[in-house]
Amino acid sequence: MPTFKLDGKEIAFEKGETIIKAAYKQGVEIPHYCWHPGLSVAANCRMCLVEIEPAANQRAMMLDVLVWDAQKKDYVVSKKPKLQPACQMAAAEGMVVKSETSEHVALARKNVQEFLLLNHPVDCPICDQSGECKLQDYYMSEQATPKRMRDEPNHKPKGQVFGPTIVYDAERCIACTRCIRVCEEVIGDPMLDMRERGNLYEIITSPGRQLEGHYTMMTEWVCPVGALTTSHWRHKGRVWLLKGTQSVCPGCATGCNMWVDADARENTAFRNRPRDNEAVNQYWMCDDGMLTYERVYKHRVTTAKIDGEREATAKAIEEASTIVASKGGLAVVLSAQRSVEENMVAVAIAKAAGADLYLTGKASWDGDKILRNADQNPNRAGALKAAGVESLPSVADLVKKSSSYANILVLGEDADVEDLGDLKGKKVVVLATHETSSSWLSVANVVIPIAVWAETDGTFVNAKGMAQAFKRALAPRGEVIPAWEALAKIARQAGHDTGYTKLAEVRAAAAAKGIEAPALKKQDGVAPATGTPQSTV
Amino acid sequence: MAAGTIVIKKPRRTAADQSFVVEIVKGLGVTFKHFFKGLNQMRPGGVRPDVTKFNYEEGIATLQYPEEKKPYARRFRGVHRLTLRPNGDVRCTACLMCSTACPAQCIWIKPAEYPVGHASRGHERFPEEFVIDELRCIFCGYCVEACPVDAIRMDTGIHMTALDDRGSFIFDKKKLMSHVSQDGDQLTANSRPEPGDAEHSGITRLKGH
Repeated sequence: MPTFKLDGKEIAFEKGETIIKAAYKQGVEIPHYCWHPGLSVAANCRMCLVEIEPAANQRAMMLDVLVWDAQKKDYVVSKKPKLQPACQMAAAEGMVVKSETSEHVALARKNVQEFLLLNHPVDCPICDQSGECKLQDYYMSEQATPKRMRDEPNHKPKGQVFGPTIVYDAERCIACTRCIRVCEEVIGDPMLDMRERGNLYEIITSPGRQLEGHYTMMTEWVCPVGALTTSHWRHKGRVWLLKGTQSVCPGCATGCNMWVDADARENTAFRNRPRDNEAVNQYWMCDDGMLTYERVYKHRVTTAKIDGEREATAKAIEEASTIVASKGGLAVVLSAQRSVEENMVAVAIAKAAGADLYLTGKASWDGDKILRNADQNPNRAGALKAAGVESLPSVADLVKKSSSYANILVLGEDADVEDLGDLKGKKVVVLATHETSSSWLSVANVVIPIAVWAETDGTFVNAKGMAQAFKRALAPRGEVIPAWEALAKIARQAGHDTGYTKLAEVRAAAAAKGIEAPALKKQDGVAPATGTPQSTV
Repeated sequence: MAAGTIVIKKPRRTAADQSFVVEIVKGLGVTFKHFFKGLNQMRPGGVRPDVTKFNYEEGIATLQYPEEKKPYARRFRGVHRLTLRPNGDVRCTACLMCSTACPAQCIWIKPAEYPVGHASRGHERFPEEFVIDELRCIFCGYCVEACPVDAIRMDTGIHMTALDDRGSFIFDKKKLMSHVSQDGDQLTANSRPEPGDAEHSGITRLKGH
C-alpha cells in the first residue's frame, strides 16, 4: 500500500484517496467543517488547508504577502507557500504534508476560524450543539483570541421550522452545505438548498417543500455546528450530562450501529446517534431508528400482573413456572424482537419441557434501498439460529393448531396477527416490555415485565447474518428484570433446569452454536462529537 | 549608693484606700453611667448607633433578636432569587450552566421554548420549571458565577433557617422569582435585547443590505 508523510507520520492510503480521508482512516484528524467521510467533497470551509512540500523536481508555489514587521513598524514584502485543501487533494506516494507542524497552516486556520465566528451569535449557553460543536473545539485549539469586530453582527432568522423533525437557526450556520449534500447524496431527494451569499447566506427548504421523509435527522447529525437541531433533542438538556453507550438499533433487520445517549441521573435515554460501521450503516440511520430511544420510557410495562391484577414479579414468575410445568401441551413462542441470549434460554425451556417452538415479531413495514429493511425485527435470523432451524411456524400457525396446547409461554408482547381471540382460555405467560393494543397482552394470564434492549447486554443478528453485540445503557426501570433471567428462573422453578445462571453462560452456549458477535472495542464513555475520527469497528 | 540608682518610696495606704469605699463608688459610677446611657438609647424614640458599626461606635451593642436582625454584608450568599426581564419574564435561559456547576446537584431545570404566538416567543429558551433544593444547597455561589446572563443571584440577604417540613425547602420557579434583593430589586442587570424584542436590531437581510 502506498504511503505519504503527515507531520512525519507514515499514512497508508488507497489510490485516489484524499489526504484527509486517508488520515481519518488512521484516526488522525485534520481540522475540517464541510468534509464528511460519507459525503462528496465541497472544499468550501477552507479549514483543512495543509502545506504540501514540493516534489524534488518542482519549485514550491509561493505567494507574495505583506507581513507586519514590529521593528520597522511597517508591512514588509514576504513569501509564503500556497496551502492546499486536504479534503480535495489526492494523496500521492511519498508526499510530504505538514498539518500541525506548519506555522502557515496554523495562521490560516486561525484566520478561517475568526471569519467563521465573525457573525456568529455565540449563544453557546442555549445552543444544543454546545459541548460537541466544532466551532467550540477549533476555537480552543486553533484560535483562542477575542473577537476584534466591534460592529453589531448580522442577524438572521432563528428557530425556523424546516419540517416535523428539524429546526434551523440561520445565525449559527457556517454554510458548510453538509445538510444539502446529505439530502442529495444519501437521501436522494434535494429538499434543502442555499440562497444569498457573503454574510447573508441561509439554508432554505426547496420551494414548496419541507424537510420530510425517513432520513431527515441525518441533516442534523452531519451539522458540525448548532444550526440544525432536532425537535426531539432541542432544549431538552445538555450533551455533557449524557453518556454514550455502544448499542445496535432495534428498529429493523438492518441492525444499524448506534450510540444510546443516556442521563444516568434521570435513568433515561435522550437520543441515539449513528455509530460508524462501513459494513452495516456506514455513517447513517433512519429517523425511526434515531427515535428508538423513546422505547426506553414510552408505554412501558413496569409491573407484573396475574389475571389483570398487579403482583410482585417473584409471584408472577412462580405462577408462570406452575403453568409451564403443568400438563396439556406447551408452546414456546420465540421473538424476533428479542436478543439471541433471551431466545437461547427460551429454546432451552422448550427442549427441556418438550414444547413446540413458534416465532413472533412485529409485522413488516415499508423498507427502502438505503437502510430500512422491510422486516421490522432486529433479530429474526438470531432467533432462528438460537433454535437451530431454518424456519419456524408463525403465530398464525399457532392459532390454527391452538387445540393441541393448554399452555403458552411467549417472549415479548409483539404479535404479527391482528386477533388472538382464539387463544382465550389458554394459560398464557407473556414476558412483555410495552403496553400495545393488539398484542399478546390481550390474552395474557401472567405478565412479567422485562427489560428493553437498552437495559441489558445482548446480541442481535441482522438480515446479513452479522451478529452484533450491544451494551446496557440504563438500569432497568420499575420492577423490570432482564428476560433471560426471568426465563431461567421460570425454568428452574418448573423443574426444567436450563443450567443458565449468568449471561456469560448463555453467551458461551450461543457461541457454541456459532452466534458470536465481535467484541465491542472499549471506547470513551463520553460521546465523540460529530465527524470525529473514531473506530470504524 | 551607686550613681544612677533611683529610690522609690513604698506607697502607703490611706484609710480611704483601705476601706475600698471610694473605689467601689467610682466603679459603680461607670457601670450606672453605661446603664442609664443604654436605657436612654433603648427607650422608644431613643437614638442608637448603627448596628453594622458596633465595633467602631460608642453605644449599646445589644440587639433584640429575633425582632431585630443585623443586616448581612452585601456579599453575603443568601437564598437564591431568579432575576426578571423588564416585562416580568424570567431572565433565565435554561442553559443548565448552574445545574452543571452545582457541586451539590441541588438545581433541577426543565428547559422549554415559548410556543408560536406567545408574547415572549423571541426569548428562545426559558425554564418551564426551575427547582432548587435549599436543603441540599451548600451556598457556595457557583451557580451565580456560572450564570452567563445574571439570571440567578444570592443577594436576597435571607439566610436559611428551619422551616416546618422538608417539602418547604424545595423552592420552585414562582417562589424564586418572588424574592427581592437586599436593595428591593428584582430586575436583572443584563437585559440584552433578543430577537423578537422591540429594541432588538432586527434581521439584517430584511433591511435591504
